[in-house]
Amino acid sequence: MIVAERKPLEDIKEMIAGYKKILLVGCGTCVTICWAGGEKEVAVLSSQLKLASKKDGNELVILEDTIERQCEKELVEVLKDKVQQVDAVLSLACGVGVQTIAEMFPDTPAYPALNTTFMGMPEGEGIWVETCRACGDCFLDRTGGVCPIVRCAKGLLNGPCGGTNNGKCEVDPEKDCAWTLIYRRLEQQGRLDAMRKYYPPRNFQAVIRPGKVEALQA
Amino acid sequence: MDKDLRLGVFLCDCGGTLSKATDFSAIKAKLQKFSDVTYVSISHDLCLKKAQKAMQKDIKDNGINRVVVAACSPELHEKDFMNVIKAAGVNSHLLSMANIREQCFWAHPDKDKATKKAMAQIGMAINRARFLEPVEQAQISVNRDVLVIGGGITGIQAAIELSNLNLKTTLIEKEATLGGKLNQFANLYPVQVTPEELLATKLKQVAERQDIDVLTSAELVDVSGEVGNFAARIKRGNEESVRNCGAIIFATGYNTEFSSQICGFELSNNIITQSQLEGKLKASSEVKQIPESVCLITNISNEHSQVSLLSALRNALGIKEKFGGEVCVLCQNLKVDGAGLEKLYRDCRNKGVLFIKFDNSPRISEQDGKVKIEVEDVLVSGEQLTLLCNLLVVEETSVPPLDSQTLSSTLSVGLDAQGFYQEKNIHLYPTASNREGIFFAGNCHADLDLMQALTEASNVALSAYQLLAQEKMTVEAEKVMIDPDKCRFCLTCIRACPHHAIREAGVNHEKMVAQIVDLACQGCGICAAVCPAKAIKPKDWSDDQILAEFELLGEYV
Amino acid sequence: MKAQGAFLPDIVAFCCAQSAYQAADAAGSMGITYPENIRVIRVPCAGRVDVLHILRAFEKGADGVLVLGCHEEACRHLSGNIRAKNRVQRVNTLLQEVGIDGERVEMFTLAPNQGPRFARIVNEVNERIKELGPSPVKSRA
Repeated sequence: MIVAERKPLEDIKEMIAGYKKILLVGCGTCVTICWAGGEKEVAVLSSQLKLASKKDGNELVILEDTIERQCEKELVEVLKDKVQQVDAVLSLACGVGVQTIAEMFPDTPAYPALNTTFMGMPEGEGIWVETCRACGDCFLDRTGGVCPIVRCAKGLLNGPCGGTNNGKCEVDPEKDCAWTLIYRRLEQQGRLDAMRKYYPPRNFQAVIRPGKVEALQA
Repeated sequence: MDKDLRLGVFLCDCGGTLSKATDFSAIKAKLQKFSDVTYVSISHDLCLKKAQKAMQKDIKDNGINRVVVAACSPELHEKDFMNVIKAAGVNSHLLSMANIREQCFWAHPDKDKATKKAMAQIGMAINRARFLEPVEQAQISVNRDVLVIGGGITGIQAAIELSNLNLKTTLIEKEATLGGKLNQFANLYPVQVTPEELLATKLKQVAERQDIDVLTSAELVDVSGEVGNFAARIKRGNEESVRNCGAIIFATGYNTEFSSQICGFELSNNIITQSQLEGKLKASSEVKQIPESVCLITNISNEHSQVSLLSALRNALGIKEKFGGEVCVLCQNLKVDGAGLEKLYRDCRNKGVLFIKFDNSPRISEQDGKVKIEVEDVLVSGEQLTLLCNLLVVEETSVPPLDSQTLSSTLSVGLDAQGFYQEKNIHLYPTASNREGIFFAGNCHADLDLMQALTEASNVALSAYQLLAQEKMTVEAEKVMIDPDKCRFCLTCIRACPHHAIREAGVNHEKMVAQIVDLACQGCGICAAVCPAKAIKPKDWSDDQILAEFELLGEYV
Repeated sequence: MKAQGAFLPDIVAFCCAQSAYQAADAAGSMGITYPENIRVIRVPCAGRVDVLHILRAFEKGADGVLVLGCHEEACRHLSGNIRAKNRVQRVNTLLQEVGIDGERVEMFTLAPNQGPRFARIVNEVNERIKELGPSPVKSRA
C-alpha cells in the first residue's frame, strides 16, 4: 500500500496562512492504515490547527470529512457542498488524492498535509518499510520475491557486489544484503539456477512517465 | 445524544457528615436549573436498602432514564447502584457517578473550594450522563469441554476435579505414559505414599471416569478461536485431530538441567544429579556398590528454588533410609519457609544427616576414586574442611518445558524472563494467563511443591467451571463495539489487543472487518485508542463521554 | 470563574481505575490534601487515553494534563501503561508544534494504595504548571 507521513505543522500552517475557513479531508484507505491520514489523524490535525489559530489570534473555522478513498472522482464529488463553503481544502491523502480533489474542484486551492513516501508494508507495529519501486518491469520471479531495486543499496541486478559482508550491506551495515536474502530464498526453493543466468541490461524506461495503463473494456 | 433525556441526580451526604462541609440544598437548587435534570434528591445513606428502594420509586415516578449519583467513590458501590437502577427499569449502564466524598470533601479542607469542586464534579457526571449508552446482556453458547495440556500430577488432578464438576476433559500428554515427574521421583514429601502408589491411585480414578479422555503421545499444534469456543489441533504420530473446548489449562510442568557453568565442575561416575540419584534410589536393589558416604550440594547459586531444596532434603532422607551410611548436605542457604519444609529439615537432622553451610562455593575434585570436597565451614568451626565421599549429588536448575516458546507464540500467552508461563497477576490472578479462558497450573509457571500444585489444579478447575458452568454464558453484548462500515481492516486493533479478543470476520459475505469477541473482551479500550479510523466505541468509555467530562473546564456551575 | 491574582491551573488527570483512581480515593481516605483545581477523569486503563482526548483538553482550556496509570509490568492489560507513555510523548511534540511548550502533559505510574504519592504528584505538577503559567491558548470568558 501507499505509505505517507504527516508534514510538520509549521509547513502546513504556512500553506493555509490567511484562510479563514478550510476543509480537512481524510482518506479511508492507505493513509488510514499507515496512521497518517485517517479520520483520527484528521481530528488530531484539526485540533492542532484550532489550538494554533487560537494562540496566534487568528480566526480559523475547520470542517472535517473522511471519505472512503480520495483517488476516485465519484467519491470525491460527494464533498461538493462542503468544498463550496470553504476557502481551501487540506487533504490528508497521498499525492493522488490531493490531485483528484484539485481536479474536481479547480476553483478551490487544494493543499497536501502529507508527504507521500513509498509503497510498502508493515514490519512491526507502527513501522512501515518500502518494498516496491513501481519500476514497471517486475522481475521478482527471478529474485525469489525480494526486490533488489528497493532493497539493494546499489540497485544491483545480477548478484551481490564484493562488499557483501556476512549478510549485511557494506553501504549501510544495518541493512541486510538484498542479494544474500535472494540467494537464501532461491536456495530454500531449489531455484538457484535463476541466479546463474545472466540478465542483459534493464530497460529502466519500461514505464514512460507519467504512466498510463489502458485495460480492455470489462 | 438522546433528545428525550430525563436525568435524576441523587446526592448523598454520607450519614450527614458531608452536610457539615457544604449546603446540599444549595447544590440541589443549582442543579434544578438544568433543563434535562428532571429530579434531584438528597439522601443520607444511599448505600442502604431503604434509601435504594426510595431511589427506585423516584426513578419510576419521575420517568427518569439517566441516573447520576453524587456520593462516595464508585469503587465502593457502583455495582450496587447499577443493580438498583436495573431493577427500576433503567439499563444498568445508564449510571454516572460523581466522587464527592473521597475525591472532594475528604481531600479538601477548604469548604468553599471543596463545594465548588463538588459542583464541577457533579456537572461533569451530568454531562457524561448525557452521552451514556445502554448495554444489553446476551447469551452466548459455549463449549463446556476443557482441554488439559500435560499429564503429570497437576494435569491429572485438574482433570479429576473437572470431572467432579461434571465437565468433560481431554487430557493430552506428549510422552507415552502419564505421570510426569511422579515417574521420576523416588519419594514424596510430605505425603506418606510413594510416587508409584499416588500415581496408581490417580490413574485408577481417571480410568473410572467416562468423561476424561486421555491422549498420550499427543502434542498441541495450535489453537484458534476464543474463550468458550476454542478449536485445538492435536497431533498424535501422523494423525491430526481437532478438539473443541471452552477453556484450556496448561499443566506442562518443568524440566531440570545441570549447569556445569553454575556449579563449576562436571558430572562423572561419582558426581551425579538429583534426577540420576532418584533413579538409583528407585532401583536401589540393583545398585552394585552401595555408597558409604554421600554428599548433596544445593543452593550453589543462592537462587532459592523450592523444588531444588525439596529434592535435596527428601533425597538425603531417602539415601539414609535406603543406603544408610553418612549423609551430608552442603548448602549456601536453606529457606524452609514452605509448608512442611522445617519439619523435613528436622527429620533429616534427627536421622543423622549433617548440614554444612558455605559462603563460597566448595572446591570439588576427585581423589583416589572418591570425591574430594573442600569447603569452609562458616557456621560451626570456621575452619576449612576437607570431605571425602563416594557420591556427590548436585542440584539441577528448573527450566521451562521444551515447547513453551512455541506454545507461547502460537497461543499468544506470555512468558516471564526465565521462559516460564507468565501469570496475569501474581497476587490477584496467579493461575490466569493474559487470555481469558486459558489457565496455568503447577510448575509450568511457578516453583511449587506437590501440595501447592494440587491446590492449583483445584483452582483452575474451578476457574474453568466459573466460565463454563452453564451451556450459555451471559455476556455484556458489544460493550465495546466496532462499526463495520468504518472499519478498514487495517489489523491494528487485532494486533494491539492484549487479550486476543478481536477476531477477523466477514460481513455480509463482502467485507472483512475486525470483530470483538464479547466473552474475551475485558473493556480496557486500548483498541478504541489505537484505531486510526475511529471505528471502535467502548460504550462505557466512549470518546463522547470522556470529552463531555471536560466540557466544563474552568467553569463552575 | 475569573482568575484574579493567583493563577489556579486547570489540570485534567486521567486516572486508571486499576491504580490511580484508587490511589486518589486512598489519599482522601487518609485525609491527605492536594489542590482542588484538579479534575479527575476515570478511565478503565491508561491505554484508553487517546492523543485526541489530551489535545481537546487543551482546546477546552486545560493548563496541564496528567495521565496516571499502573507501574510498568503491573498493567492488567499488559501494554496499556506503555502505550499511554508513548502517547504522552507524542502529544507533547504535537503541542510543541503548536507553540505550547513546557511538557504540560506528564505521565506517572502508581499502585492503588499509593495515596500519598497521588497527592504528591498532584502538588508537584500543580506547582510546576503554576510556574509555566496559563496555557497560551486559554481563553476565559
